[in-house]
Amino acid sequence: MLRIPCPHCGARDEVEFTYRGDATVTRPGPDGDVGAFHDYLYLRRNPRGWQVEWWQHNGGCRAFLKVLRHTVTHEVRAVAAATETLEVPGA
Amino acid sequence: MSAPEAVHPLAGVARGRHGAAGDAPLRVSFPARDIVQVMVRRGQDAALAAAMRTAFGIDAPGPGHTASGSGVTAIWIQPGQWLLTAPRTTEGALAVRAAEAFATCAAVADQSHGRTTIAVSGAVAREALSRGCRIDLHPRAFGPGRAASTPIAQIGCLVHQTDAAPSFELTVFSTLAEPFLHWLLEAGAPFGVEIA
Ligand SMILES: [Zn+2]
Repeated sequence: MLRIPCPHCGARDEVEFTYRGDATVTRPGPDGDVGAFHDYLYLRRNPRGWQVEWWQHNGGCRAFLKVLRHTVTHEVRAVAAATETLEVPGA
Repeated sequence: MSAPEAVHPLAGVARGRHGAAGDAPLRVSFPARDIVQVMVRRGQDAALAAAMRTAFGIDAPGPGHTASGSGVTAIWIQPGQWLLTAPRTTEGALAVRAAEAFATCAAVADQSHGRTTIAVSGAVAREALSRGCRIDLHPRAFGPGRAASTPIAQIGCLVHQTDAAPSFELTVFSTLAEPFLHWLLEAGAPFGVEIA
């Protein structure tokens, strides 16, 4: 069970959140070709280590959050609002 | 032409004692509430705060908090959004008041039929709620004037502590009020539940 510190609500259990995937993927512009949209839709880095992810606190404040999580240890190191940027630490 | 007065979703629930007999039961009631959702428009935070102060005498509360004035309570529910609640008077009265007050700075939606409030009180209230509520309701972590949205028994619930008795108001979607009450009766059964 993860405990995710929501910037609005404080630390809450994982069951209050919905995982929404890699937060570093950016949608191609309207002029993007099929290949660009294929990559956007299907290709993920799936790192062994730190990843910035979307989590929605749908059981609480309903906000979309960026969460910096380690995919091996599950450590949650930082949480930010959707409009903010989280840096992925090296290695 | 106004809509007919709604039947309370818990009107059919048997009043009186449920569960164990005892001197200190969980006291439960179903206060009729006007509930209005206020959603700030982009960049209008300061205007909304000013309008809430002028119209209701309330300083818009921040995350996890509530504030009251002139018979109306504002509850923070999510960024830029509050619920205004007041004892039910005329159908839609609070929504009309809010729509006038926030005409230029926020969207207003009447939720009086959509949400149902269940009031619980008594020394055992915390222990009964802790059977399904993941929020720490201990006085060190929570207290009168605090509020939090959290799933209880897999039902989204707005928990609002109103006094140190302790008393709480639990607001859920009206369609889920009956299953939620069923959970509450089970949670309170060892202490006894007295429904007024
Ligand atoms: Zn939250």
